[in-house]
Amino acid sequence: MTIWMRIVWIAVLPIVALLISVFFMGLSRKVIARVQRRYGPPIYQPVIDLVKLFTQHSNISHGMIFDMGLIIALAGSLVTLLFIPVGGIHPLSSSGDLLVLIYLMLISPIGVALSAGASGNPNASIGISRKLTLALGYEVPFLLVLLTVMTQGGTTSLVSFVQGQSTSILSWGLFRFPLSAIAMFLILPVMLGIRPFDIAGAPQEIASGPQVEFGGKYLALASIEHGLHLFIVIALFVDLFLGGAANLGTFFLKMLLVFLIGVFIGAVYPRFRIDQALKYCWKWPTLFALLGLILVMIIGS
Amino acid sequence: MDRADIKKALKDPHKWGEKYSLWATYFCTGCGIMEIPPVLTARWDAERFGVKPMATPRQSNLFLITGYVSIKTLRAIILSYEQMPDPKYTVAFGSCPIDGGLYHTSYNTVNHLDRYLPIDGWIAGCMPRPEAIFIAVTKLWKMIDGEMVDGYKRYRENIDYYRRNQERVLGKEFIDSIPASTMVKP
Repeated sequence: MTIWMRIVWIAVLPIVALLISVFFMGLSRKVIARVQRRYGPPIYQPVIDLVKLFTQHSNISHGMIFDMGLIIALAGSLVTLLFIPVGGIHPLSSSGDLLVLIYLMLISPIGVALSAGASGNPNASIGISRKLTLALGYEVPFLLVLLTVMTQGGTTSLVSFVQGQSTSILSWGLFRFPLSAIAMFLILPVMLGIRPFDIAGAPQEIASGPQVEFGGKYLALASIEHGLHLFIVIALFVDLFLGGAANLGTFFLKMLLVFLIGVFIGAVYPRFRIDQALKYCWKWPTLFALLGLILVMIIGS
Repeated sequence: MDRADIKKALKDPHKWGEKYSLWATYFCTGCGIMEIPPVLTARWDAERFGVKPMATPRQSNLFLITGYVSIKTLRAIILSYEQMPDPKYTVAFGSCPIDGGLYHTSYNTVNHLDRYLPIDGWIAGCMPRPEAIFIAVTKLWKMIDGEMVDGYKRYRENIDYYRRNQERVLGKEFIDSIPASTMVKP
């Protein structure tokens, strides 16, 4: 990639990601409605919601940290996005970007936590504590999976790892280390924060958790941040285990497949309690990830 | 319904958003808890119209007050209403918020809700059928189109009148206890 192409993609990729994630959110609402035998909203309903939120007359702020936290979260998501190869496009990737990703992915939860904490609402505090507890739960198997990937691929560069999978379907991560793929798939809904694991933002229990004091533009920014997070996690899964893709179309098709499986699971399951979720995270996904790592190390040596 | 009319949406995106994305806080003060949940779930599915239940008043712009209003709940209704961002629409559901209904002789019932809050639409009946909510929503769309819903503006303009009435029922302590961040300034 030439330097000019990189600059163009740095500007364009966030917009593409935003459009795709808005489409995903609309699709998930429609699919959930159909699973529950409802007609459901039109597929562009999130666009209407975002337009409404951005054009609302009054936006209630709770101080500077409240404003800045959301911006930090959004910036964190945007930067993380630029490090992930999306169908052959990787504007900021270089060697060692898998390690950079691990750190960058922490910025946006911290930004939301700052912003929600500044609102002073007790429901927001409970939501944040649940969110960070959940992060504690999924970080263990997630890091083990990444360690497996780095050990087996012999590289910390996501781009060269994706290129290594492009020879045939059997060279996909899914077939090279199936145990890690299972572990990553099991923690996918936890990382996305969708049903059965939408514990942090449970509307019925803690009035939508960290978002409780967000209204108007704040809520719009928070939902954009959520959408980008959705995009990042699913794109990472596709890059690691489904072989990435040579062009954008195939890549988004693979993302859609992964997302729809998650939505179907979410549409029929009720929410877990936080202790059940933590127990789940540290039991099966961790076990699979650990076995996968051991297997890869034995075979590798 | 002109929701898919792109030309109209681009001409006035604000109105388009307000009309087809009504997020509701429903205040079930007693009755209405039988009628509202079927509207929002699989039986009648309000999400078709973009109406979605919201957990907090900060995120919603449609306020459904169902059933009779006692003095204790009036306190919570006023606080919730003032937390909602503009523009906001209030719909009173059932006979009781209109004139006290069945409970109009009770010492603890607020008989005329519109003396304490501006109400944009009334749904009469004890209780109205869930379909009445959809009639209210479509009526609200027409009113938003004609810029006839001005409850939140009336509240700002006549805040002294509303505050006086609120103080008479709830006492001076309540007016003093309203947080400064939510306080409506005239």
